[in-house]
Amino acid sequence: MSPGGREVTITIDGREVAAVEGEMLHDAARKGDVEIPYFCYEPKLGDPVGACRMCLVEIEGIPKLQTSCSTPVREGMVVHTRTEQVKEAQSAVVEFLLVNHPLDCPVCDKGGECPLQDISYGWGPGRSRVIDEKRHFEKPIELSPLVAIDRERCILCYRCVRFSQEVAEDAQLQLIERGDRTYVGTFDDRPYVAPFHGNITDICPVGALTSYTYRFRARPWDIEHAGSVCTLCPSQCNVSFTVRDEKVKRVIARDNHEVDDGWLCDRGRYGFEMFDAPERVRGPRLKGGEAGWDEAIAKAAEGLRAASRGRRGWSSADNSGEGPARTTPASSGVAAIVGDASNEEGFLLQRIVREALGSAHVDSRPSRGPRADVLRQLAEPAISARVRDIDEADAILVLGTDPLHSSPILDLRVRKAIRRNGAKLVVATERPTALDGGAEAIARYAPGQAAHFASELASAIGGAENVASPVAETLREADTVVVIWGERIAREDGAAEALLDVAKATGMADSDGAGLLEIPDTTNARGLREAGCLPDAGPGLSETAAGMSTEEIRNALVSGEITSLILFGVDPLRDFPDTPAWEEALTAADFVVSFSMHENATTAKADVVLPLETHAEKDGTVTHPDGRLQRVRPSASRPENVLPNIIVLSQLASKLGLDTGIDSQPTAFKALTDAVSFYAGIADADLGGRGLRWQDRNTPELHQLVHPADRQVDAVRERGSVEMPSGSADGELTLGTYRDLWAGPITELNPPLRFLTPHQRLEISPRDAQRLDLKNGEAVRVSQNGNAIDAAVLIKERIAPGTVFLAEGVSGANANGLLNGGSVQVEIEKVRA
Amino acid sequence: MSPVDGPGRNNPSLPVDPAVREGRVPGRAEEEIPELHEVDCPPELAERIETLMGRYPDRRSASIPALWGVQERYGWCTPEGIRQAAAVMRVTPAYLESVASFYDLLHTKPVGTHRIEVCTNISCWMRGGDRLLDAFKAAAGGDDADFFVTGFECLGACDIAPMASIDQRYYGPLEAAEAGVAIEQLRAGDEVLPEKALARRGLAGDA
Amino acid sequence: MAHRLEKRVLLEHASDPALRTLDGYRRLAGGYATMERAYKEMEQDEVLQELEDSGLRGRGGAGFSMGKKASFLPRGEMAKYLCCNADESEPGAFKDRELMQRNPHQLIEGIAIAALAADAGHAFIFIRGEYDEQADILDAAVAEAYEAGYLGTNILGCHRDLELVVHRGAGAYICGEETALLDALEGKRGNPRLKPPFPAVQGLYGGPTLINNVETLSNVPHIVRHGAEWFKGFGTEQSPGTKVVSVSGGVRRPGNYEVELGIPTRELICDLAGGPEEGHEIKAFFPGGSSSPVLTAEEGLDLPYSFEAMAEAGSMLGSGSIIVADDRVSIPHLALRTARFYHHESCGKCVPCREGTNWTVKMLERMVRGEATPMDLDIVSSVQQNIIGHCLCVLGDSMAMPVGAMVRKFRDEFEAVMADPELVLDPHAVVRGAPETLGAST
Ligand SMILES: Cc1cc2nc3c(=O)[nH]c(=O)nc-3n(C[C@H](O)[C@H](O)[C@H](O)COP(=O)(O)O)c2cc1C
Ligand code: SF4
Ligand code: FES
Repeated sequence: MSPGGREVTITIDGREVAAVEGEMLHDAARKGDVEIPYFCYEPKLGDPVGACRMCLVEIEGIPKLQTSCSTPVREGMVVHTRTEQVKEAQSAVVEFLLVNHPLDCPVCDKGGECPLQDISYGWGPGRSRVIDEKRHFEKPIELSPLVAIDRERCILCYRCVRFSQEVAEDAQLQLIERGDRTYVGTFDDRPYVAPFHGNITDICPVGALTSYTYRFRARPWDIEHAGSVCTLCPSQCNVSFTVRDEKVKRVIARDNHEVDDGWLCDRGRYGFEMFDAPERVRGPRLKGGEAGWDEAIAKAAEGLRAASRGRRGWSSADNSGEGPARTTPASSGVAAIVGDASNEEGFLLQRIVREALGSAHVDSRPSRGPRADVLRQLAEPAISARVRDIDEADAILVLGTDPLHSSPILDLRVRKAIRRNGAKLVVATERPTALDGGAEAIARYAPGQAAHFASELASAIGGAENVASPVAETLREADTVVVIWGERIAREDGAAEALLDVAKATGMADSDGAGLLEIPDTTNARGLREAGCLPDAGPGLSETAAGMSTEEIRNALVSGEITSLILFGVDPLRDFPDTPAWEEALTAADFVVSFSMHENATTAKADVVLPLETHAEKDGTVTHPDGRLQRVRPSASRPENVLPNIIVLSQLASKLGLDTGIDSQPTAFKALTDAVSFYAGIADADLGGRGLRWQDRNTPELHQLVHPADRQVDAVRERGSVEMPSGSADGELTLGTYRDLWAGPITELNPPLRFLTPHQRLEISPRDAQRLDLKNGEAVRVSQNGNAIDAAVLIKERIAPGTVFLAEGVSGANANGLLNGGSVQVEIEKVRA
Repeated sequence: MSPVDGPGRNNPSLPVDPAVREGRVPGRAEEEIPELHEVDCPPELAERIETLMGRYPDRRSASIPALWGVQERYGWCTPEGIRQAAAVMRVTPAYLESVASFYDLLHTKPVGTHRIEVCTNISCWMRGGDRLLDAFKAAAGGDDADFFVTGFECLGACDIAPMASIDQRYYGPLEAAEAGVAIEQLRAGDEVLPEKALARRGLAGDA
Repeated sequence: MAHRLEKRVLLEHASDPALRTLDGYRRLAGGYATMERAYKEMEQDEVLQELEDSGLRGRGGAGFSMGKKASFLPRGEMAKYLCCNADESEPGAFKDRELMQRNPHQLIEGIAIAALAADAGHAFIFIRGEYDEQADILDAAVAEAYEAGYLGTNILGCHRDLELVVHRGAGAYICGEETALLDALEGKRGNPRLKPPFPAVQGLYGGPTLINNVETLSNVPHIVRHGAEWFKGFGTEQSPGTKVVSVSGGVRRPGNYEVELGIPTRELICDLAGGPEEGHEIKAFFPGGSSSPVLTAEEGLDLPYSFEAMAEAGSMLGSGSIIVADDRVSIPHLALRTARFYHHESCGKCVPCREGTNWTVKMLERMVRGEATPMDLDIVSSVQQNIIGHCLCVLGDSMAMPVGAMVRKFRDEFEAVMADPELVLDPHAVVRGAPETLGAST
């Protein structure tokens, strides 16, 4: 796609148009405001196919009309798009298209936003001379449980099949049969189930592909489109909500090359019906039952203040109980854990904890993570990559994450880099990833060995001969390396430091376009960290008194050192490692305030439950893992008794005697940007529809704002070489746990997605399966010091012998009940039927 | 065009769609690239496909030959056969079905053991191709298990029009009456219309 | 023995079944001596020059200079390919079948020499799946050639390699179109590609690729053996050489006849192929396969059978296949048969071809059922015009040109049929001569 580059001038319809040599004539024309009708052309789908013939134009010196979508621009080209010859061709093509098209616009969902309709009016012959029978298909039928296909309307533009071939690369959607008998279908008429398949409804130029979730729901003239950001995963794709009667009826892509390339995963596209799920928390609630807002907030403040006095401290007489507690942070019995929250929400919450409750115990990570000084180095602009850097990278290292599950849209981005740009991919993970197929080199380390592997890799890139050498070469030879790494590896001691060594070894700092790109565990992890939701760093990653990490908080709750807990948009009993320990912790807690969108196991244990807005309702900003601040705009109405989250937080603050001066999104955003040094001066207008990456504002001092502290080489990294998985004969199996894209409320609370709810499966290598005499689908029990989980066997060739995998977050059999921590003994015994 | 909200609301003529709110559980699992241990492909078929892949710079080039292999093994390109070939070739079954369905000689629906293609294109049509086709259909009766009789585009043998390809061998010029003879010979397992076999003909110019 | 009007070069010795074997080919035709000489004594450029000088024009349809095309391939170290187009699926064409069946080694030797000229290391024969018998014959011959060291690595000790694979298609006329052939060979659906880039620059697996027809390549050994001048001694200035012509339809002796290009078409049809049945006249004929606009007897019979003469007459020599329609053939039905073929074979990728062929068939069906008006005739004509020049490849044009020509030249017949279909004579009667009504004929 990247054109020759040289600026040239061409003439279209007598007007001179500036163009780039090698770009397609159609694109040049569009830039020159010359509209050429088209159907099949879509550069995002790969090379032009020239199938629809709608874009024919006359080029001087060439006798036949040419398809502008596939004709590269040359200096001095003279083009005509309005001559008789061209007009005749255009109306001929429209007439041909309608030979078999049913023209059932009145009952077609595409009606009113249909390219075929528009082009027929604009360029068609007016009336069709066709009186013959049109082709018939059974209609509409289920292409997938989410997408209906009406084959009579299909104009065979190839867009959907090219998406399946060239973008998602699942190759499941194909053309079947030949000639005018051709139809779009799947193998053996099986459903087209793939994580991105909803995109085909966006790119179909007619009403052939429509979403069941939107069929007959609304018409173009009684809906509004609201641009916002999807916060159902860290990808933070830009979306446009189709809103009718203040309710979200549809989610479609809002192309942002810097973020999503105009694609959406089905999670973001269909995951909006849980906004009205029965489980939705629709108002404040106390243990006893529903409560008014004032009562609930007062109760929350009371319980928290009590705990904040701690068992020690709280003496000074001048304190009547109102006003900020003046206890030493360490002694406060309050802690807070933030998950799904906007920057402003996180910022406010950490102020409440630190300033109003005098506690330093605030975290935004599921268990633990690197120390603040390491985080600051990881955040160095010089070694951080933009999403779009993936497109141009020479080599891409995917380390300790499977983008398909943890940040789906990046999976497509990496595929594109390989396909279009010939990027070399290295995958280093515990578990096979969806990207393995395109990888140049793959390293499989044992679960819990990420830190060691990373440090081995760093020295291997430096030239050392070790277990990582086989994959290191590719990275050594590349000029620009983008490392896509999963936050969860940083739960291991020394992993983050090792990552910095990898960055150094590949010379990232000096190479433009090279850098680290984190895939965090939660949707706005970076924003929350930068807003100050870390135990050892305040807003802007500033130095502050050290508090406890999530894991430490959990232990402290058990030991009684911490007695009271604020949970904001997190469900520890579902999402955090070691469910049994969390059960114990929450039971031990005296007082728990849970801010939650939906009822769940955790809210059931809470003393005060406060409702949260959905990302379609809330107003705020989030920060993309690459540092891009993006605006989440309120698009749909809140349930009546749900208040804006920031208002609730500032009310709670003032009840606790802290006047934040925040009473709206603008004031909240102002407070945030004032507090975060490297957000300083960013105005809402700067974010616009595309967002703003703070590293890209070239105010020089910015770069000093994140001050690297000298990193002492950590003892943990001096350990021996990577223990690659071994199919040890004694049958010891190492358990790895991973988060499945579809595990959790997303499928349980969204009727349309329910069919995707994952069941627990024990992934095991053919060798181990044979040794243990296991068959595919067989029920087994996976146990580990006392805890057990039932699962069905799934034999996978690419699983390394000696390792097995279970999914986290699966209801009923949640792998968080078992530990991924290092090498674990896992027994498998057949469930006796 | 009246605005419509919800299945058929204020427009009863619209089809009411049960899936508007709920994604139904699909009947069968979607089909990605199957793993070998999931398909139990006959070893000789797997071997043949492996060899075929070895003959080309790009393994995908073997897809048509591989499908020929599947068709020979199972009589037609059965879904199971396609999955087996897909597992060996490491492509999706959908890809192979798409290829198979494009070509007239690869069958994605069951066909009879003996395949009889009667040319009905220009030269044969002028000389009675349609009648020959009818004659073959009549002679084969309803016997779909043993015979697959179909009209076909020009088979490249207009010199022996009207002609037919029987189990991939050419015969002509054929009288309608000879259709019955051929069917009987096929049933009996005898050599088919020896004197009408293309292989036995001399050069036209020599006559 | 061969008729005096025939000039057999490619079909020399073809009557002898022994020619099919390596021994026979060596013994009867001095087989592979030319290739040996070319490999041992000639440079790539000499071979190229010889082919270009000969003026050999492609025998597959387009009639483009073979030597020129070969010279378009970029030089230098890269994987280059040679594809022999043996898809022969155009109605009326059956010459390649004869050449492969009777003289497979001539083709293989031609491929080996052409590969030298194109500097190709990998060659393929894409043969239509229906030609199973001929594919078996080729397989056997290729095996012999490998055995004898004419194919494989370090051929004849000249440090040249050539792999030759016989690739069977599976039934799709479009695969004869060179870029569709490439897609099919790459294991995909046989859809034509956008041109440019042309195969000579970017073809099979993205590498430079020379694509030539069976007959074209079968000519190569003879040209390199006897020289360009010898070759130009046959035929006309613009159509040098001999041509194997397939004659079929309403003639007494249908078959392949090898003649010098440029002989009177009448001699081909009436003398060699025996002319129409007793008591019947030639009404019209396709001079170059079903894709060529039909010529009436008056227009065509006395034209020299050459590329240029046919082009001048508004038709084309194409693959060199003559289909004769005598006075009993109903042109509207002939048009329908022709249209049906292209409708059935359209790959479906581009709109004008996919929908245009389908629409044309529907209209012609209405006409022969007597359910059309003269206005529909104008629509049929304009639809053909709307197809021509607007498609991705020329399959669409291949229907539009002959059908358009039939409507233009036999409008009265169409009007007659529309008025009363019963009037039309039975096309089947060509052989049996007994007029019947139309029942089964469409
Ligand atoms: C629809 C279509 C079908 C064709 N079929 C054949 C064919 O069966 N055999 C062939 O040699 N050329 C066929 N051609 C011509 C080829 O595209 C190509 O021009 C030819 O193979 C080049 O070889 P030549 O230069 O030796 O003729 C066909 C072209 C079209 C557009
Ligand atoms: S279904 Fe839509 S996108 Fe797919 S080929 Fe048909 S018209 Fe194009
Ligand atoms: S847009 Fe150019 S051919 Fe379809």
